[in-house]
Amino acid sequence: MMHDADGVHDEALRQVARRLGAEAADRLDVERTAQAVVARLRAGDAPQRPPIRWMQPAWMRAAAGVVLIIGAGLLIYRRLHLPAESTGVDSTVVVASAGELQDFTSGQLRNVLNGLDSTVEMTPTVHAGEAGVEDLSEPQLQSLLKAIPSIQAVED
Amino acid sequence: MIAAWQAGDERAAAELVRRHARAVARFLAGAGAPEADLDDLVQETFIRAFRAVASFRSQCQFRTWLLTIGGNALKDLGRRLARRRVVPLDERLESKDGDPHERTVAGETEERLRHGLTRLPRMQREVFLLRAQQGLEYGEIAAALDTTPGAARVHYHHAVKRLKEWLQ
Repeated sequence: MMHDADGVHDEALRQVARRLGAEAADRLDVERTAQAVVARLRAGDAPQRPPIRWMQPAWMRAAAGVVLIIGAGLLIYRRLHLPAESTGVDSTVVVASAGELQDFTSGQLRNVLNGLDSTVEMTPTVHAGEAGVEDLSEPQLQSLLKAIPSIQAVED
Repeated sequence: MIAAWQAGDERAAAELVRRHARAVARFLAGAGAPEADLDDLVQETFIRAFRAVASFRSQCQFRTWLLTIGGNALKDLGRRLARRRVVPLDERLESKDGDPHERTVAGETEERLRHGLTRLPRMQREVFLLRAQQGLEYGEIAAALDTTPGAARVHYHHAVKRLKEWLQ
């Protein structure tokens, strides 16, 4: 029995291990096995081809990055250039903050207040620059439509 | 040869089977594969390998990679055969006569070793076979089994210790 590189007297064990399965392997008809494997491959067990280049993880990550950059750019653009398009809140506030309230009649003031009520209802879900009219729900649209005559009346 | 198969050359596939089938069969038999299922297991090992050949990154030798795939195929077979009754090897070992022939003794030792291997955790069993039966270095074994050479060495020593206890 030898003292092997592993520092354990296991040479005898190794010799047995080397013989393990040798007879069964010798009985294997290798040529028949090779032909059977080829036949199975022909029958549909084909190799999995490498994934298409653009579907590889690196390309997918790059594409996701581009989408994020474009999305962020659009968001910033809308915030900078389209601040008051979607809600009409600012026009009311501008009118109200222009110091002209003192000149309003009681009817005009009531209209302004009604307009404010409508815009307050919308503010929890609608933010300037982030959504358009098409994003409003039916109740929000109805509120907005009700507010428009009030605002027009104020401006008149 | 592997590149030729990837390009669709069936002769390359057949040649790879001829080169490695016996080593795979020996590994599987050592790991406890029933001889009746050995041919099917070898075929299954090669089919799986050829299907997944794109994932072979030469982290280890092709043969070593095949052996680990064979280990997975054997594990799957074991699940399927889990309900099949297996005659305990110990019963056969107890019925030896008083003057056994040397070859018979050697065969019995092999049987005991094979039985002992089936009782080892899978990692210890595969490390032992790759080291003792296939003669691979720890670095190669570690690469194939996705572990470190140090861990492979520890698995090997645990396997040897337990096998010796069972063989005595």
